[in-house]
Amino acid sequence: MLMRTNLSGTDVKTGSIALHSLQKRYGSAVAVDDVSLSVSPGEFISLLGPSGSGKTTTLMMIAGFEQPDSGQVLLDEKDITRLPPHRRELGVIFQNYALFPHMTVAENVAYPLRMRRVARAEVEARVRRILDQVHLGALASRRPHQMSGGQQQRVAIARALVFDPPVLLLDEPLGALDKKLREHLRSEIKTLHKEVGKTMVYVTHDQDEALAMSDQVAVMHEGRIRQVSAPQDLYRRPADLFVASFVGEVNLIPVKLKSGIAYGPAGEKLPAARWPDADRDATVCVRPEHLRLDTGAAASLHAIQGRIVGRTFVGDATIFEFRSDSGLQLTSKVLNISIETMLDVGDVCAASWNANDATILTE
Amino acid sequence: MADAMSSIAINGGTEPSRSSRWGATPWAWLLLPGTIFLLVLFVVPLAGLLLLSLGMPNWTLANFIRIGGNPAYIAVMRTTLEISVSVTVIAFFLSYPIAYALTTGGPTLRTFLLIAVVLPYFTSVLARTFAWVVLLGRNGVINNILLELGWTTQPVTMLYNRFGVLLGMTHIVMPLMILPMYTVMSGIDQKLLRAARANGASPLAAFLTVFLPLSLPGLIAGVLLVFIYCLGFYITPALMGGLSDVMITMEISSQVVDQLNWNFGSALAMVLLVAVLAVLWIGSRFFPIEQLLGFSDRSGASETISRQQMGTQWFMRLGAVANVLDRWLPSLGGRSIPTLASFLAVLLLLPVVIVAYLSFSDSSYFVFPLPGYSLRNYEAFLSDASWMRGTVTSIRIALMAAGMATALGSMLAFGLSRGGIPGRGAMIALVLSPIIMPTVVVAVATYFLLVRAGLQGTEFGLALGHAVHAIPYVVVVVVANLRDLNPTYERAARSLGAGPLATFRTIIAPLVMPALIVASFFAFLTSFDDVVYVLFLGIGKITTLPMRMWEGIRQDINPTIAAVATLQMFFAGAVIMTATLLRRKKDN
Repeated sequence: MLMRTNLSGTDVKTGSIALHSLQKRYGSAVAVDDVSLSVSPGEFISLLGPSGSGKTTTLMMIAGFEQPDSGQVLLDEKDITRLPPHRRELGVIFQNYALFPHMTVAENVAYPLRMRRVARAEVEARVRRILDQVHLGALASRRPHQMSGGQQQRVAIARALVFDPPVLLLDEPLGALDKKLREHLRSEIKTLHKEVGKTMVYVTHDQDEALAMSDQVAVMHEGRIRQVSAPQDLYRRPADLFVASFVGEVNLIPVKLKSGIAYGPAGEKLPAARWPDADRDATVCVRPEHLRLDTGAAASLHAIQGRIVGRTFVGDATIFEFRSDSGLQLTSKVLNISIETMLDVGDVCAASWNANDATILTE
Repeated sequence: MADAMSSIAINGGTEPSRSSRWGATPWAWLLLPGTIFLLVLFVVPLAGLLLLSLGMPNWTLANFIRIGGNPAYIAVMRTTLEISVSVTVIAFFLSYPIAYALTTGGPTLRTFLLIAVVLPYFTSVLARTFAWVVLLGRNGVINNILLELGWTTQPVTMLYNRFGVLLGMTHIVMPLMILPMYTVMSGIDQKLLRAARANGASPLAAFLTVFLPLSLPGLIAGVLLVFIYCLGFYITPALMGGLSDVMITMEISSQVVDQLNWNFGSALAMVLLVAVLAVLWIGSRFFPIEQLLGFSDRSGASETISRQQMGTQWFMRLGAVANVLDRWLPSLGGRSIPTLASFLAVLLLLPVVIVAYLSFSDSSYFVFPLPGYSLRNYEAFLSDASWMRGTVTSIRIALMAAGMATALGSMLAFGLSRGGIPGRGAMIALVLSPIIMPTVVVAVATYFLLVRAGLQGTEFGLALGHAVHAIPYVVVVVVANLRDLNPTYERAARSLGAGPLATFRTIIAPLVMPALIVASFFAFLTSFDDVVYVLFLGIGKITTLPMRMWEGIRQDINPTIAAVATLQMFFAGAVIMTATLLRRKKDN
């Protein structure tokens, strides 16, 4: 929708990025701690994490605005760790876009070409072509502040792509926008990625954004990468408690693993994959939509006994608050497909799930 | 300064570039030229002043003992203190309603009040003092009117006594009081007042418990600035005071210039300097001084609020009482405060306006109302060789001073904003001190230095002195602008392939240029309006335009001066307009 024709003739083989044990300290605080990551050409990877997790610092080290204390940044197997930013040939889309306020849209887009001393006629042609591709041809002589948020993003994209970099770095480009526009622009970026086939590194704190757009998501916390996975795996098989609770809603159930079987707080057997290793304490995590609440006969043997203590209607689904006899608080999400067998507050029931929907975490 | 003061921006959402917080950057080198300049022309002279006051080369404390032991000098100190305290108190009570209405009023009222505050502020002190001399004199405008109306049978003495000094000084310092008040007040979230009302506070109680305590830093800053300014005030007391109203600055001038008693004059200057530093030190317990001049790394509000925890209890009690008495108290709402503020603002503008009006007289005396309009005063100004020579001299010196101040000041501003040096606070203090320290003291100190260098009475020497005085204004304007200059623009340029130099040329320079233009205008204006430095550094050899006015006001109150003062006002107005337009262009 955004780009009809291919924006560039880039060979899809270029644009791989590799980070080797990047480390960055500010005084005594460690901002980025032993971060290694490899991104294949054409891949869309998100760096997801709460603020202060080191994701923007990592991106800025790729862009060259921050120098790592140790470690390496490789672009297409070339070490660019010490290369100044303007020699890296990476497109960067900044938070709030950083469109130069004293230049028109066309001048903004022409900027990288002028810096590369491209001949004036060619600059004009390329600027016109790319502005037409982002449907801003008619607004070329406007100033950035005269444009809407969506148009500004397209200018930023055009400016970052016009010199045909193999990689695009995006630093929370949707951060400051309202929800509707954000969803719209999200799909524009996704379409753009499909069409130009460039490697994209996308920094965000919004898990929906990361899950919806990425091929791979790297979750960061306290300067470290906690997990790198495809979105489905990240959600279904979180690697640790932080990832489990940061991405999506989750029920965390403390269990004891004994001879391969998980026992709940009241000593009940719980559904989970067989634990191959030694006995220990652990946490089973189950997504609310996987948690079943059944009454009476339907109740499975491997379940937690308790009662419903809350019910909230949220449109497409109903959220049940469940409290076990041992005092454990769990949440179940049931899609409102039929309303016949709806449980109510006070009902006694049993909570269970399929063994392969549960993840055992031991940390 | 008003420009920067009224725009103490709370830092934008982006966190400051991290690299600047840790260790010095190459930008820090830009601090070097300006620092050397200020060290040589500001710190060294003040140190020299101290040595002179101690009798160098025959060390002695005799000068200070003489000041302490002589009733005449004690009387001078008392007069200085009396006048400064009175003016500060009067100015405070007259300024608060204006600042309040400036914050809370509608757009029309606010525009009017802002003009009423800023226009006089940028009109030279000399022109404003001249306005009062014309208004208050024996044959002045006010006596004219009183006699005309038959309210008195003979002219009332209002000039050359304590009354005249207080009136003139109060009028001149009020903008200085209002601007910091307004800066702080406009940062108060109006929703807080609504929250107070929602929680059961009457309008008066909401004001007492929320607005007043939150505006306190601005009030302290205003009082501090004005008090310091009064202690070191020279022009107005010298022109409007009576024989018994000798302030310390006048005594310093008479010792140094008339009696050539350098050591004793230095000792007096040291006393004044120490007094000002003591006031500043006490004040800095309550308010971070550099903040009122536009330097704040963070919003700083939270810090100052926490310092007021003790006061809050007191305000709460006051508010609770007001709440109980609410039913019996007259309503403070409605039109009363805007009306009062407008009235005071008219008084603030009136002297300036009347002088402009009188300048178009066709009479060679000041007659009110005008017998007829003509441009004869302007013709007199343009055809008089001595006036024209003064004007050309002023322009020449102001260009030199503005050139030096803009170059050094903007480098300092870049160094301070981006240098990431340790001890930044001390650097800021050094850079800003030339406008905080009494002008007379700095001028005297510079004079002694120039004499040693053989530069006394040269236009270059005078321009050096003016440049020292103008650098702080340049720094404040440029720093305010650099704070708005988002470092992401530079990063964007670098990511798009621009090297450091290309980034400076294509991004930083164009974005900072308006601020540099404004800053150089202000630097020009401070030099162009100055008379104190000329009095000391010019040693009677240099007659600038203000110097010619000064002599004119002292000898014969010549209507040509009205034309010159009006032209100065228009020039100042034009500078403000340019600054506003450039700012608006940037914001759009």
